Amino acid sequence: MTRLNALLLLALIASAVYLVRVSHESRRLFAELDRARSEERLLDNEFERLKSDKQSQATPLRVEKTARDKLAMRSATPAVTQYISRAEASGAAGSAR
Amino acid sequence: MSWRDSIKSNGAGKTGRSANRSGASSVRSVTYSTSPLLASKTPPWRSKFLVAVVGLSFCGLLGRALYVQVIGTDFFQRQGEIRYARTLELPASRGRILDRNGLILASSVPAPSLWVDPKDLDADPVQRKQLAKLLGMTSKELADRLDDNPNFVWLRRQVDDQVAKAVLALNLKGVHQVREYKRKYPEGEAATHVVGFTNVEDHGQEGIELAHEADLFGRNGTRRVIKDRLGRVVEDIGDSVAPVDGKDIDLSIDSKVQFFAYQRIRDAVAENKAKAGSVVVLDARSGEVLALANFPSYTPADRKNLTGAQLRNRALTDTFEPGSTVKPFIAAWALETGRVKPDTIIHTAPGRISMGGFVISDSHPHGDLTVSEVIQKSSNIGAMRMGLMFQPREMWELYTQAGFGQKPQLGFPGAVTGRLRPYKTWRPIEQATMSYGYGLSASLFQIAHAYTVFAHDGEMIPVTLTKSAASGDDARVAGLRVISPETAKTIRQMLSLVTGPGGTAPKAQTIGYSVGGKSGTAYKQEGKGYATKKYRAWFVGIAPIVNPRIIVAVMVDEPSAGKWYGGDVAAPVFSDLVQQTLRTLNVQPDLDVKTQIIAKDVPAEEESF
Repeated sequence: MTRLNALLLLALIASAVYLVRVSHESRRLFAELDRARSEERLLDNEFERLKSDKQSQATPLRVEKTARDKLAMRSATPAVTQYISRAEASGAAGSAR
Repeated sequence: MSWRDSIKSNGAGKTGRSANRSGASSVRSVTYSTSPLLASKTPPWRSKFLVAVVGLSFCGLLGRALYVQVIGTDFFQRQGEIRYARTLELPASRGRILDRNGLILASSVPAPSLWVDPKDLDADPVQRKQLAKLLGMTSKELADRLDDNPNFVWLRRQVDDQVAKAVLALNLKGVHQVREYKRKYPEGEAATHVVGFTNVEDHGQEGIELAHEADLFGRNGTRRVIKDRLGRVVEDIGDSVAPVDGKDIDLSIDSKVQFFAYQRIRDAVAENKAKAGSVVVLDARSGEVLALANFPSYTPADRKNLTGAQLRNRALTDTFEPGSTVKPFIAAWALETGRVKPDTIIHTAPGRISMGGFVISDSHPHGDLTVSEVIQKSSNIGAMRMGLMFQPREMWELYTQAGFGQKPQLGFPGAVTGRLRPYKTWRPIEQATMSYGYGLSASLFQIAHAYTVFAHDGEMIPVTLTKSAASGDDARVAGLRVISPETAKTIRQMLSLVTGPGGTAPKAQTIGYSVGGKSGTAYKQEGKGYATKKYRAWFVGIAPIVNPRIIVAVMVDEPSAGKWYGGDVAAPVFSDLVQQTLRTLNVQPDLDVKTQIIAKDVPAEEESF
């Protein structure tokens, strides 16, 4: 009987120690998860910021300026545009084949 | 006799040889069993008293335990929770505003706010100077700011991320940051009158930001957590409320068209030394607003030194007498009711008519004109003669159906109603002036909207600033019928004559696309009368005229560089805008253009295989 009690006591102590360990571990992991989540949020924000930065680098004003000044492009007029309708285009492709 | 004495005497009596030794050793050798003190009986009440005291204190403890655990448990649980549980705010991000192609017009970006606890601030003069420089203020400004309040001072709210990082890198004690968001407007001043802006608390103040505040503004969430001594979150407790992000708003604005409209009206205002200008571009099939621009404008990110003139969304808030632009409505109704035919002759000679002490005149006498020519040459007398064929009520209903005196159902803050008085109070002279556009007032947007009657085969369609789901031919919406499709077609032909030779606005012509429209010029109203040297010039048109896709309205306020007719000032802007917009919308030109593409018949290189 005494032996059994001693055994049970040992088991109890071991289980208690294990419980402490597990709960500590779970808290540590939770803190880590939380940190990862807040990092995710930061990165999302950053992504959003970069997208809008990209957009402000590609505004029509800037694009037009660059196209005109650096690339010496002109805006297309109907005089220099060949308009193709879809039917015509597929017809031409068919005859080319 | 004290007990010490009794011990001494006792010891002396027992052991005579140790009598002259020290007291300590004598004490050691005392035999207690013979102590008379011990011999005396302990009174029984003493032990009972002790038991009672111990018992009572246990009762006290028990009572306290009962109080803490059962009676006052709520209070203690709460107090405990306050010490370890924290409620974290989960910020919802404000929705974005996108154009019809999904390009960002407004989005929220993190912008930390820096604050300082001046009592805590530990910085030497060099560091202070660095700090001031980073924040973009002088050392004195910084010092003044720090003197404001001993506990809390905002250094700068909503700075750029990089600035915040640089400031925190100085590692000054007492400087802290708070996460906040600010709006970023990539399109800047070109789209600002449509998009609007938010205040520092992230609430919309103008434009779409204000109109769609409820949709854009999300709901913040909360979360209960347990924090450990290092401030780390170790457990979630209770239910958390997830944040609801604001919805994105898809506008019908095309940012390319919008930008071009803004740029073109800005140039036109500069060129004509004008005070201001506005442009409205509508999709004639779906009623979507493709562009709405005003000059002067402002940069939404930098709103210092803003003037009312810059803030005004003139296209929607400024009303003026629509003048010649309503003449086509009068002609349309006269045709619709069978009172005239397009080639009916109307006498406009001698170019001046006196009526009720008021003189109505044309810019120069025309003689006899057909209805088409009345529109083409914009004859006031011709329009008046047609207008006087109607009952006042008929004319009032026509104008009302075309949206004059009606608030545009646009859901946009500040859109005005204009003015159209009830027909019962009209005097005959007023009906006469109203038939050529004086005596009522409308905003440029209302005029553009009214022209959907002609562009949409006689139907007045609702306008919208948000993108409709359908695209292409499906996007065609049904409207309220005002005139028959045939009449609308006839009027469109008359409108195209305006831009032809002999019309008032040949400068509205474009390469490749047929256009039609109506110019307008007026003296500006000042007080009770009209100013003599101040004009307003505008042009409203439709393109392509055979199968309308867009309606463009242009208004230039006080052109003062020698030209002031709508056909000279506003029509060239219309022409450029039509050209650019239709090209952007991939509309094929409906007029023959002498092509400049020369494709030589070069034999293709044979592919090796």
